[in-house]
Amino acid sequence: MGKESYQQGIKGEEVAEKYLIQHGYKIIEKNFHSQQGEIDIIASENEFLVFVEVKNYSFRSYGSPLGAVRKSKKQSIIHAARTYLYKHNIKNTFCRFDVLTIYRRPDGSRAVDLYRNAFLIN
Amino acid sequence: MLVKIASAAILGLEAYLVEVEIDSQRGLPGQSIVGLPDASVRESRDRVRAAIENSGFQFPPGYFTINLAPADTKKEGPLYDLPIALGMLSVSEQISVKNLNGTIILGELSLDGAVRGINGILPICLSLKKEGRNKVIVSKENADEAALVEAIEVLPVETLKEAAEFLSGAKIINPHKIDIASLFPPEPEYGIDFADVKGQGHVKRALEVAAAGGHNLLLVGSPGSGKTMLARRLPTILPPLSISEALEVTKLYSVTGLLDGKGVLVTTRPFRSPHHTTSDIGIIGGGRIPRPGEVSLSHLGVLFLDEFPEFERNVLEVLRQPLEDGKVTISRAHSTLTYPAQFMLVAAMNPCPCGNYMDPVKTCTCSPYTVQRYWGKLSGPLLDRIDLHVEVPRLKKEELAAQPDGEPSKMVRERVAAVRTIQQERFKGTETFCNARMTPRQMKEFCVLEKEGEELLKSAILHLQLSGRAYDRILKVSRTIADLEGSENIQARHIAEATQYRSLDRKGNEV
Repeated sequence: MGKESYQQGIKGEEVAEKYLIQHGYKIIEKNFHSQQGEIDIIASENEFLVFVEVKNYSFRSYGSPLGAVRKSKKQSIIHAARTYLYKHNIKNTFCRFDVLTIYRRPDGSRAVDLYRNAFLIN
Repeated sequence: MLVKIASAAILGLEAYLVEVEIDSQRGLPGQSIVGLPDASVRESRDRVRAAIENSGFQFPPGYFTINLAPADTKKEGPLYDLPIALGMLSVSEQISVKNLNGTIILGELSLDGAVRGINGILPICLSLKKEGRNKVIVSKENADEAALVEAIEVLPVETLKEAAEFLSGAKIINPHKIDIASLFPPEPEYGIDFADVKGQGHVKRALEVAAAGGHNLLLVGSPGSGKTMLARRLPTILPPLSISEALEVTKLYSVTGLLDGKGVLVTTRPFRSPHHTTSDIGIIGGGRIPRPGEVSLSHLGVLFLDEFPEFERNVLEVLRQPLEDGKVTISRAHSTLTYPAQFMLVAAMNPCPCGNYMDPVKTCTCSPYTVQRYWGKLSGPLLDRIDLHVEVPRLKKEELAAQPDGEPSKMVRERVAAVRTIQQERFKGTETFCNARMTPRQMKEFCVLEKEGEELLKSAILHLQLSGRAYDRILKVSRTIADLEGSENIQARHIAEATQYRSLDRKGNEV
């Protein structure tokens, strides 16, 4: 079970990457880790530096999948983003947080949704 | 990039200019509002975002710092939504604000981008006029109220988009105008009339005297004798509000958000009857940023306290100061505010808890101690401030069966208005506006007694053991009675009638 869901996760991120590239994103880094957080995909789109959180799910939960990105998760993404900006000495760049949801249907096919500017830092 | 948009904040009945400064920086997306915002201001963040996106604009990227200057006063209410949204759009260069020119912008945003009305538009516009500002953008809902201030150009908008189009010059909005005089009905409309009341001739007379001189009144009577019915009809015999009075009352109702359903301008005198469980703060006003209480909401009108002794003792005692001064000053850590409170107090009570004390027909079941305790709730100083004490007896069978026979309110109102005009002439150039509020010096000047009257008053004081304050009250009431008769000096019969309205001073000796 554990191994399978890990496999699905890897597969999901591949799907996500493909989807983003198709939509004009340039992937800069994947699975960036800071001490207190992580970001699944860092990409650039036009003038924006985009931090993308990938959410896999295979069951219909109630409400918006955005709800699945909880406050603590947001904090961890924000922390990692700050670390990334600091490490690479990035200033004067518009940043954005996107959430990409991947729903795996029972038949194995996937539906991808991209939520641009999904949340703010406060 | 930085944009400044002018808005306003209310403190008491005055408003001051607030500069909404919006600065954006590249970086992680977010925003913070500084300048002591309260929760309703801070929540504007979410409303603004939804409104911008639903108006067809893009929520701008970057980190926004929004400052509400001056930064040391607390800001409350949703009125900064519209200036913040317009500022963000302008900073991100989605719109231009070349038509801004110091225009004041006020309005709450709905999630769909519609502009909603806010409280306190009238006091804001009046204060801005004093500051020399002359243009204001408000919601359509608030347009009439804002236009009451003549010198101000009122530009009503319905949506965020419309406001943005106006500021960038893509749309012309015609200033909204309103004719104040047309808001006043030719005859005040109350829906009730003095003529509805059967019998109780002497109570009607007392109400007329009270209305004419602005005197406070206490009605004592058994249940069902018509106290409440009579009191409710008191505003119908008061003279209509003048334009400046109407503006003053409207200001109070505007800041408290009670204007809904009253139209744009309050044109009839207020009648407030708070329930007897109302707290002292509810009566006098208060809160972290003090808001007007019932005494201020009945400014220039009637405050009716039914079941008078049922009110908490502290509630009754806080009435003493506004009754004397015609205003209340409320101090809190944050600010000290003064609200006007020139109201007529009309109190109604039963003669005892069961209601049948001294009733000619029914028997009272209260013990003397209970009756005493009931009356004990009303302190001497408070009763002293009430000029007229009137007993309202139970109606007799014949009277109940008879047709209402009273004079219509309109006729009484004309007499009252005439007496009020006399008083205006008399107190020209002073702060006093009615006989009830005469200062000792004015009493000396205007309450000239004829010899006979003086002797009558002396013997009344001797026999009824009246206090010094009661003496003053009798003089003031008799002045009003003399005015009603058109008499220059106060005569013995005026004193006699006025003394008759001090029945509780006598009862005090009995119980």
